[in-house]
Amino acid sequence: MFWSQGRAVSARELMRRAAAVAKALPDGRHLINLCEHRENFLVACCAALIRGHTTLLPWARAEGAVEEVAARHAGSYRCDDDMVRSACENEGPRAASASASPGSSSPDAKRVRIPGGDGADYCAFEIPGTRVAVKAFTSGSTGSPQGHGKPWRGFVRSSSLNAMRIRDCLEPVHGPARPWVVATVPPQHMYGFETSVLLPLLSDMAVHAGRPLFPADIATALEEVPAPRVLVTTPVHMRAIVASGQRFPATALVLSATAPLDAALARAIETRLSTTVLELFGSTETCVIATRRAASEESWHLYPEVILEPDADGVTVSAPWFTGPMRLQDIVERLPGNRFLVRGRNSDMVEVAGKRASLGDLTRRLMAVPGVRDAVVFQPDTGASGEVRRVAALVVAPGVSTESICASLARSIDPAFVPRPLVHVDSLPRNEVGKLPRERLLAAIRDPAAG
Amino acid sequence: MPATQLPAERELAELIIAAVNLEGVEPQDVDPEAPLFGAGLGLDSIDALELALEISRRYGFQLRSDDEENRRIFASLRSLSEHIQNRRTT
Repeated sequence: MFWSQGRAVSARELMRRAAAVAKALPDGRHLINLCEHRENFLVACCAALIRGHTTLLPWARAEGAVEEVAARHAGSYRCDDDMVRSACENEGPRAASASASPGSSSPDAKRVRIPGGDGADYCAFEIPGTRVAVKAFTSGSTGSPQGHGKPWRGFVRSSSLNAMRIRDCLEPVHGPARPWVVATVPPQHMYGFETSVLLPLLSDMAVHAGRPLFPADIATALEEVPAPRVLVTTPVHMRAIVASGQRFPATALVLSATAPLDAALARAIETRLSTTVLELFGSTETCVIATRRAASEESWHLYPEVILEPDADGVTVSAPWFTGPMRLQDIVERLPGNRFLVRGRNSDMVEVAGKRASLGDLTRRLMAVPGVRDAVVFQPDTGASGEVRRVAALVVAPGVSTESICASLARSIDPAFVPRPLVHVDSLPRNEVGKLPRERLLAAIRDPAAG
Repeated sequence: MPATQLPAERELAELIIAAVNLEGVEPQDVDPEAPLFGAGLGLDSIDALELALEISRRYGFQLRSDDEENRRIFASLRSLSEHIQNRRTT
């Protein structure tokens, strides 16, 4: 169930469109989903599922990234909004429901039904659980982007766990009422994919097709859908919401991911929107595996059946629905009761001249220097063993000199960790989901004017 | 030869440059008809959020981005300035 351009679109209608698009797709194996509109994006994903094609989600929509992904995958083709629209227009009024592509005859293939969202148990498609539904590429904070194939049954399981956590937050006040999602994030990154594509597809949640940016737009989108409302967003948007004078309708729940959310911002949102903030912990590789109430909890509540095996450099994550154990760079500490703390990311812990520090901690201290509006500390290069590899920093600090910033910082840290170079930039080189890819950080210290 | 700036456009250019910390660009040098986002001044959606905040503080109304209007309003300094002059409450 979608809300799009001022009207509700039923699950039945979406599946009809998916069938129409599925017929129009070329022969091949990989569909590169470039739809900008959320409902077209979902329709294209379903069409690929029907045809047995894997949906590819490149790490960026820049032409170079799409070309690279296409070159790496035989039988790949692009699908965009125009293709979806014209396939739906060209289809006659009575589209026959598409027959599912022949499923795997393997005994452990799990057939999954797509439930109707409008009361009827509408199911024309059965997707074998082992089908690689999506291949997602991580943005590559170190090195070039990696592809991760994700089987359908993994999505089904992990989405039901997401829905369960959301329901736990909503049920006490709103009972079994259908939640409406408004997302500020795009569907082609895993966070937006799980919350604005999989949730409407695999649970009874509905979603607003828009992608609001400004606080005023977010408020309007929330007003267009009925309660209970679930806002899916990020700390960047949340900061803007808190700073704006915008009024918001009653919002039952706010989800946050893509960047660490500090408790103060979470509390500010809870006050402003009279809501609860649920932060999600996950990755492109694992999808969401834990949640926490950021305003009041430091520890994360792990999903059932997920096993964490921490070590000095990161953590190995296993779950029955994974294709295999997966490695995350987070340093975690397990706690009783299926909980854990995040102590930092492996790439967060750096060594300079034999001493260790957390980049996150250094960044926080740098941001606390008067006049510094935004900053990031990072370790630019690996260097030969035995060489001193200093940390560098980018700062947004108009009118404040490098010397005075470093002097302030040196008061509370070991001199080895004073950034060199410390470069002034107009803004931190964030990508469209607010992250700071490593290659952009490196480029900015080489050429600050290009940052 | 870039188009001449109106006084309101100069004021907006100053606000933009301050809001998104654009170093090395002088307000009077911003061509009022050149793009703000992508090309031209080269702002992105994160800048847009900062900008929206500053504009709401200075001019007393909330920026929005409905699909059709968005492209036109944010196309240039001139179009954004016109939009602000129509909507400002302070």
